[in-house]
Amino acid sequence: MYRLQSIRKRYGSNVALDIEELTIAEGRLYTLTGANGAGKSTLLSILAFLTPPTSGEIFYAGKRVDRDHGSVEEQRRKVTLLHQSPYLFGGTVYANVAFGLKARGIRGEEQRRIVDEALDIVALRGFRERKARELSGGEAQRVAMARALALKPEVLLLDEPLANIDRETIGLLETVIASLPARGTTVVMTTHDPAHPGRLNGESILLEGGRHVLQSLR
Amino acid sequence: MDFLVSSFASALRLIGSFSPDVVDAVRTSLSVSAGATVFAALLGIPLGLLVGLSDFPLKRFVVTVLNTLMAVPTVVVGLLGYGFLSRQGPLGVLGLLFTPTAIVIGGTLLAAPIVANYALASVRGADPRILPTALTLGAGRLRAVGTLIGEIRFGILAAVIAGFGRVVSEVGVAMMLGGNIRGYTRTMTTAIALETSKGEFAFGMALGIVLMMVALFVNLFLNLLQQR
Repeated sequence: MYRLQSIRKRYGSNVALDIEELTIAEGRLYTLTGANGAGKSTLLSILAFLTPPTSGEIFYAGKRVDRDHGSVEEQRRKVTLLHQSPYLFGGTVYANVAFGLKARGIRGEEQRRIVDEALDIVALRGFRERKARELSGGEAQRVAMARALALKPEVLLLDEPLANIDRETIGLLETVIASLPARGTTVVMTTHDPAHPGRLNGESILLEGGRHVLQSLR
Repeated sequence: MDFLVSSFASALRLIGSFSPDVVDAVRTSLSVSAGATVFAALLGIPLGLLVGLSDFPLKRFVVTVLNTLMAVPTVVVGLLGYGFLSRQGPLGVLGLLFTPTAIVIGGTLLAAPIVANYALASVRGADPRILPTALTLGAGRLRAVGTLIGEIRFGILAAVIAGFGRVVSEVGVAMMLGGNIRGYTRTMTTAIALETSKGEFAFGMALGIVLMMVALFVNLFLNLLQQR
């Protein structure tokens, strides 16, 4: 799905990421681990095509991503990043989940059906008309997950999606996340929990000081 | 004290009787202020967003200039406008001096930096996750900025209202570019200045009360929108 070659990201004189080569295969689940400041979030942001690397090349689905020739916006629509502390737009839960669908021109009955399906997955069907800003942390995380799932992205990037939420929600989200590769979605997820690769039947990528030091295959 | 009380009572009578002079001044004030606010918003909001969302070499300098322009005395803008619009000026051929349009132009120049600065402050204070969230959900750059504007709409609305407040309450531009012509370019503020200098304190007070009511209604409107 991805091939990263000589990817470097600098903020001033600080090198946040320095990856010689990294390959992410289609339809797999990867957990991205490393200490705070290891470059996990930077890597996810680059994989989401939100942050350009300072140097290096990214190939997505075999094609070189060229920021100068407009291919980024096209690629960005195939990849969705879910932040650790997701931002929910003002308005209803429905409006939030439908946001990306509207951006893709999906409206009317089809939009309603997809939103309902996505809310079903995260067990929030009855929340359609609730105000997004009045939800609890766990509910907000589930809405953000539904918002991402509604788009059926080729790649779902998750930045510590299970941090700071209740145990019940963790169980639900783990089940949802583990099921995604079977539906054709490649998942890359940052975590501090060493049990996650095993529990989610995933592969592990380890970053240290911005460098990719280990990739374990199951 | 009797003077103030009797003037206040006379002022209320003037307002209640819809004195044509009061009505004319209120109508002129509101129409030129609304016009100037619309143009200031059209200039200031995109400018504030552009400065807030982009990085360029002279950004700090531009922000400093915008801040400085907020504090420009109204008479200086009036003077500048007079220089351009008077018969000898480069735009004198348009014949705009001492017309409501001239007040709208001057008001726009006064309010645009305020709207731009408030819009800039709103962008800077916005949640930094808004744009990346919109982008990662598939919004193009333009739609993402539109989403950002929607999320900071109360800040933008406050920017527009601050611009309106600046224009409706100023005297210098209205006096110098409008000429304080009765029934044509006489605004509430120029009428207050003129009538008070003529000793018509009650008339000035009537317009002062209306001016305060306008400010009150504009703020009530803003609060109402924020509560929805």
